[in-house]
Amino acid sequence: MNLSIPERSEYLKILSDSDQKIMGVLPALYPRELLWAFDLHAAEIWDPPGDILHANAHLQTTICPVVKKSLEFILKEPDVINTGYLFPHTCDSLQNLGTQVKDLIGVSLPVYTFYNPKGSFNNTTTKYYREILQNFQSMLEVSYGTLDSEKLQAACLLGHRIDSRLMDIQEARQTDRLLLGNQEYFQLMRAQEYLLPKDYMSLLEQVEILDQPSEGAKARILVSGILPPSPQILDFLDKLGVSIVADDLLAGSRRLPKFPMDPPDSPLDYLTDRFFILPPCSTRGGDLDERLHQLNKRSKSSKAQGVLFDLVKFCEPELFDHRLLVKTLREQKIPVLTLETELDSHLSGQDKTRIEAFIELLFEMVPR
Amino acid sequence: MSVRAELKYKIMKDYGAPAIMALQDIKKRKKRPVPEAFGPPLESNKRLKEILSRHYFLSRYVSGVKKVAWVTSGAPVELLRAFDFYTIYPENHSALVGAKKQGGDYCGIAEGSGFSQDICSYARIDLGHMLSGKTPAGKLPKPDLLFCSNNICQTVLYWYKAIAHELNIPLIHFDAPFVTTEQTEADVNYMAQQLQDMIPILERVSGRVFYLEIFEEILKRSMETSKTWGAILDAMKAQPAPMTIFDAFGHLAPIVSLRGLPVAQDYYHILMDEVDNRVTQGIGAISDEKYRLIWDNIAIWYKVRFLATFFAERKMNFVTATYTNAWAETTGHLNVKDPWKSMAKTYGQIILNNNLKHRLGLMTKMIKTYAVDGMVMHSTRSCKPYSVGQFDLRKAITADLDLPAVILDADIADERVWSEQQIHTRLEAFCETLEGS
Ligand code: SF4
Ligand code: SF4
Repeated sequence: MNLSIPERSEYLKILSDSDQKIMGVLPALYPRELLWAFDLHAAEIWDPPGDILHANAHLQTTICPVVKKSLEFILKEPDVINTGYLFPHTCDSLQNLGTQVKDLIGVSLPVYTFYNPKGSFNNTTTKYYREILQNFQSMLEVSYGTLDSEKLQAACLLGHRIDSRLMDIQEARQTDRLLLGNQEYFQLMRAQEYLLPKDYMSLLEQVEILDQPSEGAKARILVSGILPPSPQILDFLDKLGVSIVADDLLAGSRRLPKFPMDPPDSPLDYLTDRFFILPPCSTRGGDLDERLHQLNKRSKSSKAQGVLFDLVKFCEPELFDHRLLVKTLREQKIPVLTLETELDSHLSGQDKTRIEAFIELLFEMVPR
Repeated sequence: MSVRAELKYKIMKDYGAPAIMALQDIKKRKKRPVPEAFGPPLESNKRLKEILSRHYFLSRYVSGVKKVAWVTSGAPVELLRAFDFYTIYPENHSALVGAKKQGGDYCGIAEGSGFSQDICSYARIDLGHMLSGKTPAGKLPKPDLLFCSNNICQTVLYWYKAIAHELNIPLIHFDAPFVTTEQTEADVNYMAQQLQDMIPILERVSGRVFYLEIFEEILKRSMETSKTWGAILDAMKAQPAPMTIFDAFGHLAPIVSLRGLPVAQDYYHILMDEVDNRVTQGIGAISDEKYRLIWDNIAIWYKVRFLATFFAERKMNFVTATYTNAWAETTGHLNVKDPWKSMAKTYGQIILNNNLKHRLGLMTKMIKTYAVDGMVMHSTRSCKPYSVGQFDLRKAITADLDLPAVILDADIADERVWSEQQIHTRLEAFCETLEGS
């Protein structure tokens, strides 16, 4: 299938030229619908291309490349980001980067923050999260005027449609009813980081879902980590005939509710509920058993034969969970491969060999 | 609670611990000579050692007598005290391992079992201890409960989750929203409610009932103790300063790990008296204090002695630190009449949970009030919340206050990352600048 996915920087340039208000949003969880309701477009900044040069003067060598690349991008004060930056509370490094940019480095645009509660959740957390949403709304109202409640309702409805369609697509991917290679599939997933929601929805609608499974891949894997593997790895897997049939990625399915939700009735309640039914995630301090359970469930339903962990170097949230996930998967005799990425565009010979060895192991296995 | 275990604990408390302490005292009578660069050592050191050794010693006999909780340094421990938990602070224990230069070994155990070498070394040492049972403290009791707060870092939540899973025990997490500008009413109410939500869980785990009056007493004691600790740090404004910050790193242990207990309260009165006395008599911690410095970030535990001597020999004394100040800075918010919200304000606004504008303001104030001439920042690979932003803090401070500063790349407790050559070069260059300024 040939999807026509606009290129990120060109697309954002066209948008900003047309006076669209664009906010740069750092990883990972934020109430996108609230931004949309204020006609603010969220352009997510995860791994902008280019070398890390100026950020090195502000950050230690032991800080993850997501943080460094984001700062490098912000320091350039790109024109396409014309409204401000939003730093959701994700991890210690991003937490500090937010205040570093706002209070020490200084940028010409406003810097906003959004706290995501951590740990195990109960009624107290739910009540608080709703208040955070309310406060966030009030803060945006200071700059962008009173919120139009109908717009918020419409934004939530659109968000709900996007979620539902993404769930269908994921389900189709797991059951071989999608004619997309790994590269194309993740381009589609990641297009939500920069396309206007209506454009993204139309793109999702173009995706053809087959009624019957197509011929399966030679091997099936699940990927876990923060970001999808680099295009070089995806391409390599495509060439080997390996399909990534499911994911446990922060930039992927961990941002999509665990199960379908009813269409929104009261927007803030809907956004609150949505936050609490996201899959367990290291960055929210989610329960380890629950994460294991989720990983197992996904790998069973997608018939994944092995798990590829593609970890961002120095990413503490993932590094802590990783040990137990690997240990348990190995006990279950599920092959596991761990790669570490610094988000450069290079696939080393060593990684290539390790991937090949891992895939060969899967080729020899009887599908689950 | 078993009668036998209780009896044994009581005997150890009343007779065993004092006997062991006396024995240790005899063993240690052959004191190491104090280098000339230093003033007379603090007499309170002896009492401090007794308290800490006793706490670790008695922890071996606590099983079956009291429930044991492993707690993070920033967690509101006063609530646990109301249920008489015996508390162990893994961060303190990791610092102890680090100070004994054994951090690398313990980290190696954790790494060998699959933990990455890129995670905080306090966590790796503790996980190494948990997996092997090794400890320089003899033996540590297994926890019945884990209690953590992300007011110092998110790391502790990931770390405690790993222990909770491994040992299959409950974990209570106190979620402290990061203060990006100022605490909101919603933040305070959220934290206050969480504390109250914990009571039934703590009652269940401890088998004890919660009494508000007991809790208020503990809170009062904790407030008073933190205030005394703050006054001790304040006394270092004197010239010459009666302690070095390296002394304070050690004397910090009771305020971190015994906060809310009479033993900590009493101890700081002893230390306060001694420090006051030294100020009155003009006794300095180093023999000839010419330059006064500020330390930023956690100690480099395995190099405390080296750094203390290096600077003292150059007539330089560390008189203040953001780290030691953390247990005194926000306790002014505590209010027995409004326990829950005041605890939310106290624990929610500590330095590592507060924005960098606040940190810059605090450091600037410390530099001015302590008449500081230079700044040493430890950029530690373990601790993101303490280290991310340091480069720009340094830039702002050196520009605003025209203060010489140096950044040392090292780690808190994993001695394997220490680079002698690099540190020496930087320190020498810093001292030259300071002496020439
Ligand atoms: S990769 Fe990990 S450490 Fe880096 S910003 Fe994302 S969650 Fe934080
Ligand atoms: S050293 Fe830093 S990261 Fe490690 S436990 Fe302490 S505050 Fe957390």
